[in-house]
Amino acid sequence: MEIRKLDQMFEVLKQREKKRLVAAWAVDEHTILAVNDAVNMGIVEGILVGDKKTIETICAQKRVDCKKLTIVDVDNDVEAAAKAVEMINNKEGDFLMKGLLSTDRYMRAILNKEKGLMNPGAVLSHVTVAEPSTYHKLIIFGDVAIIPEPDLAQKIQITNYLIRVANFLGIERPKVGLQAPSEQVLPKVRSSAEAAIISKMAERGQIKNAIVDGPLGLDLIIDAESAKIKGMKGEVLGDADCILFANIEAGNTFYKTVVKLVKSELCAIVMGARVPCVLTSRGDSERSKLYSIALAAMMAY
Amino acid sequence: MKRLIEIVEKAKSLGRRTRIAVALAEDANTIGAICRATKEGFIHPVLIGDKHRIECLLEAQGLPLSETEIIDIKEPAQATKEAVRMVRDGEADVLMKGLVGTDQFLREVLNKERGLLPPKAVMSYACALELPKYHKLLIISDTAVLPTPDFSQKLAMVNYSVKMAHTLGIEKPKVALISATEKVSPGMPNTLDYALLCKMADRGQIKGCTIDGPLDVFLACDKEAVATKGVPTPIDGDADILIFPNLETANAFYKGLMLFGGGELAGLIQGTTKPVVVMSRSESENSKYYCIALSCLMAEET
Repeated sequence: MEIRKLDQMFEVLKQREKKRLVAAWAVDEHTILAVNDAVNMGIVEGILVGDKKTIETICAQKRVDCKKLTIVDVDNDVEAAAKAVEMINNKEGDFLMKGLLSTDRYMRAILNKEKGLMNPGAVLSHVTVAEPSTYHKLIIFGDVAIIPEPDLAQKIQITNYLIRVANFLGIERPKVGLQAPSEQVLPKVRSSAEAAIISKMAERGQIKNAIVDGPLGLDLIIDAESAKIKGMKGEVLGDADCILFANIEAGNTFYKTVVKLVKSELCAIVMGARVPCVLTSRGDSERSKLYSIALAAMMAY
Repeated sequence: MKRLIEIVEKAKSLGRRTRIAVALAEDANTIGAICRATKEGFIHPVLIGDKHRIECLLEAQGLPLSETEIIDIKEPAQATKEAVRMVRDGEADVLMKGLVGTDQFLREVLNKERGLLPPKAVMSYACALELPKYHKLLIISDTAVLPTPDFSQKLAMVNYSVKMAHTLGIEKPKVALISATEKVSPGMPNTLDYALLCKMADRGQIKGCTIDGPLDVFLACDKEAVATKGVPTPIDGDADILIFPNLETANAFYKGLMLFGGGELAGLIQGTTKPVVVMSRSESENSKYYCIALSCLMAEET
């Protein structure tokens, strides 16, 4: 089934065997409530790693039924992250979520060479899935948060992550637009040149399961009318499922515009580790956190 | 076109004599080719060099002196300067190298004030090969001038070769960008340049041709290899033009072919305002004759 609205993920997950979410240092009400919502909805099993007394106190205050959740008692954030990662490596959990600890410490546990979750050569990257009210389908894009200036090799990896997320959402052959200033190949503009290279690699079958085109201006990627005015033809134009952004500034600005100026639902995960990792911030809406958990659960299959 | 002789036929059909200025026209090969083209009526030679020596060579070929123009300058550098000047001032249509050294000759062609290369233009080399085992002429570049072409030089090579193909009557030549494999790989930087060139053609930034690369020579020139390998490419084993990643590869390719497979070639300097014929002294009279014919066609275009 192709997911066309984010809440369709819930329907799919309810039909499947539940995946085990491991929340690292889950000692704040935001994290506990998000996990609890997902558990109550019947889309995951929840494991909270953190100080047991604090977790139980919050559960009591917020009328959360502790018995539905598994609590693993650890008394500080660094150890909680290490324990959560260890549980994933021991197959006691299926995917990871960040609790109250800093992003930095969370990432360090994932990236740890001996005990972490990375395969050699892999790159961690942030993938967002948005459902803008003004677009006819979901948009999957990156990287808006982790890699500031991806080089060619990293862009190839990020492109593959975007495609993989699309594939897991049931989009068999997603259309990927590679964002650059314009559709003209400008050999001296790095984003433009690298887009041309990646697009040729896809033509040669070196990037699979997708239709890739670039360089393209953002207007051409998401607006069929713009492509028509310019007289351009291509399957991706105005109908992209995925967007690879030239760099973090471009991606992050798009992300924030989509959140703040366009009515959009959205969610995100970190790709590149052996399991999907949820990295929500406290500013995210309840709904968005739930979607992010659902997305990670979808990707954990 | 399958054979270089067809270029000669085309040159004859132009119905005019192209004026060719030959710098230091004192070797038998060059004079032999010039005499043949003159007798066949498609060139008017201006022979610059030692008058006495030139006249002896012409006599040996049985060409009446009245059909040529001889300018008596004995010193090679001065003879070259005068030949370049004549082409630059429109007194001749084509420049050809005789017995003068290539370095000395090209120095005059490249001279900023009085040479034949427009400012910022890339000088390159393209030649058309007649190969017994290929079904048509094959244009290749660059076998002689650019050792390791960068991106903009590769772009220039493509455009020059396409122009040559158009002159030969190939409307939409198929350009193959040659590498060892069809894969785009950061470890082989030439393949990255090729990806850019392909995408530029997609976007209409390179016109008048079908272009694909990286491709190996098999995928470029052998339909069976394309079928076996299953690599979809619009070139489809039917290339008109091969662009090589560097001079060593291109040079070894054509010399290997000439030596082991046989064949003929006709090449020209590219990028100059008027055609420039530079053949090494060891090249056969036949090759020089074809070059002259090709230069006549190209002179029509410039």
